[in-house]
Amino acid sequence: MIVQSDSSEPGTILRVRGPLEFKCQLDSTVGSHIQKVISRTFETLRSRVKSESLVFTVCDSPVVVWPNRGKQETLYASPEEITPNTLCKDLQQWIKTDEQESSSKKNAKSKSKKIPTASVINLHLMMEVTKPGPLPALTLNRTVQKHHFLRTTLPMDCVVHTTCNDTIGVACERLLEELLHQLCEMEKVSLQHMKGTTLQVPEPLHFLLPESKGLVTVVYPAGVPDSQLEAHRKELHQRFELPEDRPYFRRANVYRFPNETYRDGYLRNPHLAVTHPSLENGKLYLVQGIYSYHHYMQDRMDDNGWGCAYRSLQTICSWFQQQGYTERPVPTHKEIQQALVDVGDKQGSFVGSRQWIGSIEVQAVLNQLLSVTSKIMFVSQGSELASKGRELANHFITEGTPVMIGGGVLAHTILGVAWSETTGQIRYLILDPHYTGSEDLQVITDKGWCGWKGPDFWDQTAYYNLCLPQRPKTI
Amino acid sequence: MGRGYIVEDSVEGYLSKMCEAGAGPVTGVLIGQSSGQRDFVVTATRTPQREESAGAAGSSLDKEWVTEHARQVSRMLPGGLSVLGVFIISDADPKDMLISLRQLVFAVENLISKDRLWAAADDDITDRIALHVNSKTRKAVCRSLDVRDPKSTAKPADWRYQSGVCSCWATVSCCLEVDLLLALPENRTSIESMEKCLKDGLKAWAHQVEDGVCLIDGKKLPADTELTAGQKRNVRQTFTAQLLLTPDGQRLADGAQQCGGSVSLRGAIHSRAYLHSNKPKVNLAEKLLKRDVVSTVAVRVQMLLEELLTEEEGKGNSKEKHWAEQLSLPRRVLCPVKGHGPVCVCDYQFSDEGLAEVTDRLKEMLDLDAAEQDLDTRQELAAEPADSSGPTEPSVETVQEPKRNTYTGVAMATAAALLATAASLLYLQDD
Repeated sequence: MIVQSDSSEPGTILRVRGPLEFKCQLDSTVGSHIQKVISRTFETLRSRVKSESLVFTVCDSPVVVWPNRGKQETLYASPEEITPNTLCKDLQQWIKTDEQESSSKKNAKSKSKKIPTASVINLHLMMEVTKPGPLPALTLNRTVQKHHFLRTTLPMDCVVHTTCNDTIGVACERLLEELLHQLCEMEKVSLQHMKGTTLQVPEPLHFLLPESKGLVTVVYPAGVPDSQLEAHRKELHQRFELPEDRPYFRRANVYRFPNETYRDGYLRNPHLAVTHPSLENGKLYLVQGIYSYHHYMQDRMDDNGWGCAYRSLQTICSWFQQQGYTERPVPTHKEIQQALVDVGDKQGSFVGSRQWIGSIEVQAVLNQLLSVTSKIMFVSQGSELASKGRELANHFITEGTPVMIGGGVLAHTILGVAWSETTGQIRYLILDPHYTGSEDLQVITDKGWCGWKGPDFWDQTAYYNLCLPQRPKTI
Repeated sequence: MGRGYIVEDSVEGYLSKMCEAGAGPVTGVLIGQSSGQRDFVVTATRTPQREESAGAAGSSLDKEWVTEHARQVSRMLPGGLSVLGVFIISDADPKDMLISLRQLVFAVENLISKDRLWAAADDDITDRIALHVNSKTRKAVCRSLDVRDPKSTAKPADWRYQSGVCSCWATVSCCLEVDLLLALPENRTSIESMEKCLKDGLKAWAHQVEDGVCLIDGKKLPADTELTAGQKRNVRQTFTAQLLLTPDGQRLADGAQQCGGSVSLRGAIHSRAYLHSNKPKVNLAEKLLKRDVVSTVAVRVQMLLEELLTEEEGKGNSKEKHWAEQLSLPRRVLCPVKGHGPVCVCDYQFSDEGLAEVTDRLKEMLDLDAAEQDLDTRQELAAEPADSSGPTEPSVETVQEPKRNTYTGVAMATAAALLATAASLLYLQDD
């Protein structure tokens, strides 16, 4: 379901998640029988979603809503003050966020220039098992009959975007529609990928599409890798009128909600916390998408003094992985060295050494490990870099990949340029791999480890090679 | 610091009465609720006579009999009430009786907690009462034992009588639907196999209940909130609970399991818990109610299985490849305890029994004199024969309603003996 997101008015995203139990008995292994039973079970689940026992509980709050109850306000939600006409944004006051508040204030300064994003309200999907009594007591049914018993849980995950005028009544109705629609999608995906009596669990994932198309939810079969789902992705690209030369629907492209932190410890896109320069008639040309900041001393690897190009290469690899071009994790120094040995560029003794690498090696490794081709730009002296504004700007527009630059005795990563076509003024957004400290965004931006540099940053007489990685044309 | 037990006045009269009877030592169990620093003993009940030894000078205490009685009693207690300990009335010296008391207290605790489906909580009180009453002097000597440690010493405890201990106790209750569908393993569809299957299934369901969200009178309250805050002190209160569950998110094998059959448990139960009147908190109400929910279902399933095991096995394992049977579980019937505020005990009535059997059992197990009209049968309706709304079932071969053996002391002995056999059967079968 398409969710409009207007960046001028962020609104609130309501996200409901919860498992639904999927259970059925297959009396025969004939394909058509299996399909019938699976469909029937999904139908039962759809009835459950429409029943009055369905409940949404708002995480970290005492708020509970029975979305299928009639609009008699007293039975619809708890606490009583909440009615179907309560505005969604007013739900925030019920939610306990003491820790979140204090930490967000700390980051507020550094993230002050960030585009305002919608806030997210998380809800749990639950079923009420109590009812007003009295009711008939328990019966036990025992049947003896050979059959296959199929049991799994469906990870329901639905999202709706609301604006400041939307009420809870409206939002919950839309969430219910989403849930029913998601069950239909799950049924389709299950039947399509069923092998014998093995069910691939259908898994909903959310993707944020460009140009205000908003959040889209897609159901993929969990056990099937991206490489086998190309036809599905092609259909999605066509449906949403997206270019068919870059991925939007690979699992790596999944949208990360604001409250979902990365658990691997690396900083993402520290450049977003930096104040950008404004040049007379100048424009910004920045890296697209998400990368991780790799630098000296990380991963308990002491590469201080020799590993800068390796770290720049790692940053680039992290970009390709997070944009969905590869499933390969970011390579270690040893893996990088081994790749160079494998292509015949270095001798076996290279692995485990502390030898430097340059742009050519970076290009070779990107090709060997990720099948990514790169353009090399040669600059005979540092002072010439000031004239490369147009090329760099074009690179960031068409490819948008981080650029590795090596020369003199140093390697750096260029994340963007600020360039004025008329005055020729230029600034470079640099991510410095020579940083040896911890992942502290404040320090990294304050001290310029990620920051804007002028043309005098380069050694004016040394020669430089730049490696400009090209996006593979694939979805 | 010793524990302090606040005991209903009527218990004093009850224990005195048995001092007068003077026919050898009398044993029994004490029932109540433990909390924080104070414990409340609400009622006591003597171990029923064993028919073979009626009248005989039973100088040696029958440990198995006492513990089996305690287990039966604990099944008849709604949430918030539990067996808190054991008493012995005799003319012997309290020090001589301590060893017997200690043995009984531990044996009772072990038997009762063996079949529990819910996990012990950190804030559970683990002290139990070892009470000796001297039949000549009527003097009561109370000690407490920590049942977590078999080597713990008995600590002296306060035993104080008070009137109206539970007159203002609060009641939390709900009516809850159960819907479990479990697979029976291939080639093993016996009752023992069904028993294991049910036990595993109920354990998983008990986890869901434990993790579920509990609303009291329609509200989700913070755990530390006082339940009876802002209410007049001497008003008896009732609360209605609602329970919201979510299935276990853990994904099992995605491939289908091959099974020999299935077992389903469907219907509703009435659950209730009593809370002492000393500023009880929401988390206590939630804990006690959830435990009662799980216990009442588990107890009924156990009772049904006990019945099935005493019948002939042959009927079940017919030569037919496919068959189905439907069995009704007993319904819960409540009985108020006179002079004890809102507190009720309960029993389970099979569909082929009348209320007379229930009052008989209440008399035998809890020494309670109740008339049929005192019983509250309105909380649960008789089980309905199901129409096959579930997966397609083959033609129903037999619709079986197990006959409950009329309870006498002998019958209880048979049950105890057969349970022992069944237990050993489970061990002999390679699962």
